[in-house]
Amino acid sequence: MTAQELTPKEKQELQEPAKTRPGRYYVPDVDIYEDENTLWLWADMPGVSQEKVSIDLHDNILTLRGEVLLEDYKDLTPVYTEYNVGHYSRRFTLSEDIQIDPDRITARMSDGVLELQVPKVERAKPRRITVMS
Amino acid sequence: MAIVSLSGFDPFGGLLGLQDALDRLLQNPNLGINLGLSGASVFPALNFFIDEDGVVVRAEVPGIPADKINVSVEPRRLTISGESAPAQRDKGSYHRRERRFGQFSRSVQLPEELDAEKASAECKNGLLTVRIPKTPAAKPRKISVQRA
Repeated sequence: MTAQELTPKEKQELQEPAKTRPGRYYVPDVDIYEDENTLWLWADMPGVSQEKVSIDLHDNILTLRGEVLLEDYKDLTPVYTEYNVGHYSRRFTLSEDIQIDPDRITARMSDGVLELQVPKVERAKPRRITVMS
Repeated sequence: MAIVSLSGFDPFGGLLGLQDALDRLLQNPNLGINLGLSGASVFPALNFFIDEDGVVVRAEVPGIPADKINVSVEPRRLTISGESAPAQRDKGSYHRRERRFGQFSRSVQLPEELDAEKASAECKNGLLTVRIPKTPAAKPRKISVQRA
């Protein structure tokens, strides 16, 4: 794993028409991991600070948004470019099979990566039933 | 270095103005500077800007802490290298795996009139910024016009 070489990945533009502001949005790369108690989500949003992230859960639809800081580009004139810059947006429908506790979702940003911790509720956890003879 | 004037790029024009300015160069790579050494197929992707002090190089490196990134500036050459690793997890399974991890190293050629000694780098919100100022000799000098 460690010897693997990292290659650049072209940013994917968001195709959803639901935009309220001009400009292009990009789809952040996401990992989703589930263990016994928690659903974890990581989204790459380089250039987005903690204050500029919004997470919304409504009718089982989880919406992640992140805004890049345009101030970072103030007084800079581009002379050579390999990637474009834009805000991030992505939406997931949470599976009905997994009961989650929306009040206990926690989120943090570090180094441009959003980490969401979504705790599963008790009844969704696997239960071992002993078969009596 | 060919200094391209991008008339119409207004940093205060919001996201659209910035995206248009970047796009113009994405579509016309020959307008800008020649990077030499390694091409765009090597991580990280780079954007080059100029400001009044010199050259500003930007790269998106999400999830890589500053202490895992090495930046070295020699005369005429910039090298960015490092390694990223996923969070260690066990006893669970992935539903989706799109983020990539691994080692990287990229070297690019720099214009001549830059002062490697005075280069600086910072990493904020997964955005790496390397600033390399121009040598004093390369900076524009204001010459006062004397009344004859």
